[in-house]
Amino acid sequence: MAAVATCGTGVGSTGSMVAATSKNNVTSFQRKGPRASGTDSGCSRLVSIAGTRPSVRNGQLLVSTGLPALDQLLGGGLAVGTVLLIEEDKYNIYSSLLFKYFLAEGIINGHTLLVASAKEDPADILQELPAPLLDDNYKKDFDEDVCNHQTPDSNIKMKIAWRYQLLPKIEQSGPVSSSRFGHYYDASKRMPQELIEASKWHGFFFPEKLSSTLNIEPCSLTHGYRKLLQFIQKVIYEEGFDGSNPQKKQKNILRIGIQNLGSTLWGDDICCTENCDNSHSLTKFLYVLRGLLRTSLSACIITMPTHLIQNKAIIARVTNLSDTVVGLESFIGSERETNPLYKDYHGLIHIRQIPRLNNLIYDVSDVKDLAFKLKRKLFTIEWVQDNYLRQERNIYPPGFSYLLKQKDSAWGEGSLQHSTFLMSFLAKATAFASRLVRHSEPLKQTGSGRILQAAGPRLWHDGRRQAAPGLLAVPP
Amino acid sequence: MESVLALGGLVLLRDSVEWEGRSLLKALIKKAALCGEQVHILGCEVSEDEFREGFDSSINSRLIYHDLFRDPLSWSQTGEALPGGPLGALQAMCRRTDPGPFTIALDSLSWLLLHLPCTALCQALCALSHQHSRPGGSCLAEPVRVLGLLHEELHGPGPLGALSSLAQTEVTLSGAMGQASAHILSRRPRQRPALQTQWFSILPDFSLDLQGGPLLESQPHPDPHTAPVDPTAHVTFNLHLSKKEREAKDSLTLPFQFSSEKQQALLRPGPGQATSHIFYEPDAYDDLDQDDPDDDLDV
Repeated sequence: MAAVATCGTGVGSTGSMVAATSKNNVTSFQRKGPRASGTDSGCSRLVSIAGTRPSVRNGQLLVSTGLPALDQLLGGGLAVGTVLLIEEDKYNIYSSLLFKYFLAEGIINGHTLLVASAKEDPADILQELPAPLLDDNYKKDFDEDVCNHQTPDSNIKMKIAWRYQLLPKIEQSGPVSSSRFGHYYDASKRMPQELIEASKWHGFFFPEKLSSTLNIEPCSLTHGYRKLLQFIQKVIYEEGFDGSNPQKKQKNILRIGIQNLGSTLWGDDICCTENCDNSHSLTKFLYVLRGLLRTSLSACIITMPTHLIQNKAIIARVTNLSDTVVGLESFIGSERETNPLYKDYHGLIHIRQIPRLNNLIYDVSDVKDLAFKLKRKLFTIEWVQDNYLRQERNIYPPGFSYLLKQKDSAWGEGSLQHSTFLMSFLAKATAFASRLVRHSEPLKQTGSGRILQAAGPRLWHDGRRQAAPGLLAVPP
Repeated sequence: MESVLALGGLVLLRDSVEWEGRSLLKALIKKAALCGEQVHILGCEVSEDEFREGFDSSINSRLIYHDLFRDPLSWSQTGEALPGGPLGALQAMCRRTDPGPFTIALDSLSWLLLHLPCTALCQALCALSHQHSRPGGSCLAEPVRVLGLLHEELHGPGPLGALSSLAQTEVTLSGAMGQASAHILSRRPRQRPALQTQWFSILPDFSLDLQGGPLLESQPHPDPHTAPVDPTAHVTFNLHLSKKEREAKDSLTLPFQFSSEKQQALLRPGPGQATSHIFYEPDAYDDLDQDDPDDDLDV
């Protein structure tokens, strides 16, 4: 009874609870259910942290990366206590956008932020965060956009490759309210100042911490990395993210963002030379960082200019030491920009690694060729072949009808030869498409281009073997 | 070319043996000096007299020259040499107090790269070019421009890549038919980088003369490797159908044509259908004889 009285919020609720128990006083057992007031977390049983949810596959606690499309590809979100490494694109446009989405998601959910950079002041980074899309007026614009995108194609249902309609489309649901897991952001607008000021953040700007005289200490970790690790450790300890200082307030997540790790501005020379003195500095940093993260309620995003790192072995080590690795490749300035396959997209996104946390299997998505596009306000990720499959109706050769309509044709309906032809044809077409995406070159046809088949009774119809009339034109 | 000076930050002038960049550097310095800015020059590769040659006295009086050529290692004890060596000189330039637009010309970044560790140089350059956003102090509206001359052939891809990622604008000098051209790649903070080509020539008094292309249009494409890839070439089937062919194709009955309801039923990812369905559509060759062939056995 006393316990009930102290945890109730108002006198009214306490009074009603007392009345209820006195009425049904059959047993002295009282059920301790979840309290009516959610603000006092000391009494609540289920501690749920804002902005997180358990994974549907293995119950791992997940946070959103700020991009619902990326969350879906990573198996629901980023696991708490892990590192998301983003390999930057050449001009660092889209990777810095993903970095900002991550931080903006933290502000919307009320998480604490730690921003570390050697190039820009963290206060400036926070000023440039994108604004969240929360209202329903944006939903109308978004729906229009989706409709315009789909009207030419969805009217024509696929006749041959209709099973591709079963493939799960990358979900494009519209903007949602703040209580859901992932949010959408408008990259053309800034986050409102009051939201930034209401949030709690710590900044680490390396040039400020750099001492004015250049003293090169002979230690295994580069000066910059050592300072950053000390800073992160201090924040985690003082704010109690690792459970050391028992938190009076509700538990919260620390979102750490480190920009341009590995570049020369951090004092690391892996981008300058191939055989550098401190080649293990970065890998040691990642190892210690992962240890700090695993023992605290935090999630980290790191952007790294891997296209500048000269020693490829370091990239492989860095990939192994991170949990989730996503690579961005933009089409600006490359020869793929003129390729008509890619004309709707701004770049490719490669999911290089997904962690196996408390699990034996990976959680990879089925599609491998993913491309991203920065639309007016939204960042979308799609399967490249979607574009190609829309042209499916042009792939099937028109002269095929004569093969079916002949009475004694080897290619009668339901025959084995026919189904073999169809399957090999479709397999060739999709393999063709994948090869295009990977190498931007059409598949070179060797040989006469005719499909060889097993001999059947009807092939020897007039005493000599008939070649399979499969393809229209002999390739040059 | 105006955009090169308009944006602040680091401007990299990449030259090579065939197309030298010092004259372009001097032309840009002259332009900045004529606008009334302060110009500091860190000269490492040529002597001061040789550098000032060609400028008239009004411009010469506005240039503040820090000489590292005469005594780079400060062996002479006279105190004329700059304290702290090249890095000290760069850091001294970071700590300026007077407002106003400011241009720093580094006569050669290659020399600095060869004498200083790359990381220290990059950090100093970043501190120089981001000087206008000093924390706690007043935000200076005028940008700081750092013009750096870099000889491409002297360095490997590592330092070149590191400096390019720091640079706001990159000007690569090349040319054709005796005419110099500059490929200018300008990176604005959150926008796509813009690439433009400008043909120019430099007059004896170091003023820039912007021109159109050379007389013979040898290659309109700056990059010969970007031939547009056409995935529909070399395809063994016909992608462009005539109207008659299209009609023939549409009237084709596909061999495994399901009825549309069966197709819809298969498409709907039904979460656990209570009963499983067997769809059977008899072929032309199917025998629908209901007799049991085992009845013929004489057992």
